[in-house]
Amino acid sequence: MKWRWLTALVPAALVLLAVLLLRLGSESNPILVIRVDLATAALIVGLGASALIAVTLAVWEWVERVRRRTIRRVQAQAAEDRIRFLRRLDHELKNPLTAIRAGLANVVEAPSEDMRQKALVSVEDQALRLSRLVADLRKLAELGRYTIERSSVDVALLLREALVIAQERPEAQDRRITFSIPQAPWPLPAVYGDWDLLSLAIHNLLDNALKFTRPGDTIELRAFEDGSTVIIEVADTGAGIPDAEMPHVWEELYRGKGARGVAGSGLGLSLVRAVAERHGGQVMLRSRLGEGTVFSLRLPVARVTER
Amino acid sequence: MKTKPRVLLVDDEAAITSNLAPFLERSGFTVAVASDGEEALGQIGGFSPDLIVMDVLMPRMDGREVLRRLRKADNWTPVILLTQVGESTERAMALEEGADDYLNKPFDPHELVARVRAVMRRARPGKRPLSSAQRLACGDLVLDRSSRRALLQAREVALTPKAVALLEYLMTHPDELITRERLLDAVWGWDYPAGTRAVDTRIAELRRALGDDPNRPRYIETVPGQGYRFVGAVEAVT
Repeated sequence: MKWRWLTALVPAALVLLAVLLLRLGSESNPILVIRVDLATAALIVGLGASALIAVTLAVWEWVERVRRRTIRRVQAQAAEDRIRFLRRLDHELKNPLTAIRAGLANVVEAPSEDMRQKALVSVEDQALRLSRLVADLRKLAELGRYTIERSSVDVALLLREALVIAQERPEAQDRRITFSIPQAPWPLPAVYGDWDLLSLAIHNLLDNALKFTRPGDTIELRAFEDGSTVIIEVADTGAGIPDAEMPHVWEELYRGKGARGVAGSGLGLSLVRAVAERHGGQVMLRSRLGEGTVFSLRLPVARVTER
Repeated sequence: MKTKPRVLLVDDEAAITSNLAPFLERSGFTVAVASDGEEALGQIGGFSPDLIVMDVLMPRMDGREVLRRLRKADNWTPVILLTQVGESTERAMALEEGADDYLNKPFDPHELVARVRAVMRRARPGKRPLSSAQRLACGDLVLDRSSRRALLQAREVALTPKAVALLEYLMTHPDELITRERLLDAVWGWDYPAGTRAVDTRIAELRRALGDDPNRPRYIETVPGQGYRFVGAVEAVT
């Protein structure tokens, strides 16, 4: 932005160069005499000033128009996002609440103690589901202003820990989970960040992979270095995500067709994205329907001073 | 027969007080209910509660203001704040202002009863709670809460901010069994399935820094399958 102002100096620099040439060079420095009557001089100055003002105003107005248009577009997008979020929230609340109301009706009218117990358990399950949703919403809201605690994070150690936790899950028993990180020519560099938040992000990615694969599928947890970036990937041979749904999976409370009926708050990937962004990183996704999905988390490598 | 402990329950949400009050009564407390801060201050004189459970966000006078006024009037009735704000600095503020404990909504009512009992056990009638002390000491270990530093034999111990917060929570709840989930909720402000390991990692960091042997702990004891307990005797120092 600021560099643009330097272009204003270009004519001055050219003139200075010409002056130098005329003064030092062998060329003679001719004297120009311009004769003009006062009326014409006044006319030239007046018209010149008007032209200058008109051009300035035109440019200013154009800039202003572009700015307003951008603001309008951003506002419209924000309003649309908000409505979409509210609609999804409404949907996420509707189901457990309906179940709770039905459960309560069953508690009141249950013909046997056994049925009443069953109804109570289901009411409690739904209340816990709502609690989890609220907890995730709060987590997401907090991430925006949470002061993240930064230290040098050994990515290999972080991933190994996440892997151990994932392998303890019952779904992990009939899926093949592999893990690979580079050792040669040098080990994976550290990233500078919040261990707990990064661990949460990787946990969420592995959790998704376990949820959207079937028994016998493969899940790969891998990481590698690409210059100034560490790329962590969770790949699976699961159902894959349709092209049309791919841009939306990071949105809060979005559920693709394949994700309906799968337990979860619909906030897991939004949290992953928020964690990546707080670390100056990015998230990416590649998927083929029926073949599988790769989620990648790109994080800047810690600078030497941060290690 | 001992008289039942008296609890004043303050929340503007009638749905909460009408369900929690009977639950607390069944758990062995005599309960009075107030629906905002002003009403609570009015009731404290007559009801003289042994403990106050109070929401933070309320109309007219919020929980924080009630707490400030009580402490200013040198009233050290134990207070448990029900915060809705998850921000960890808000929670730290609640402790600094003289709350004895806090609990994030939504919570399990059994958890509230456990906290009420723990705070009552810890409370020293008429005295400032440990949770409002600026400096806490346990033998050679001193925690300066305002500067967020821990000193061992007058030498500063290098700790991450999270480890300091963890030590602070443990030292303000001495001799109390604290589950990993509760530490996550109180210190991290959020919970996730793998989070309990984050707690273990930080506890290990604290032990290393403090030179505490888990087999013969001077400070932090592991209660197998349950959580942790700060076993040293903690006192407020000036």
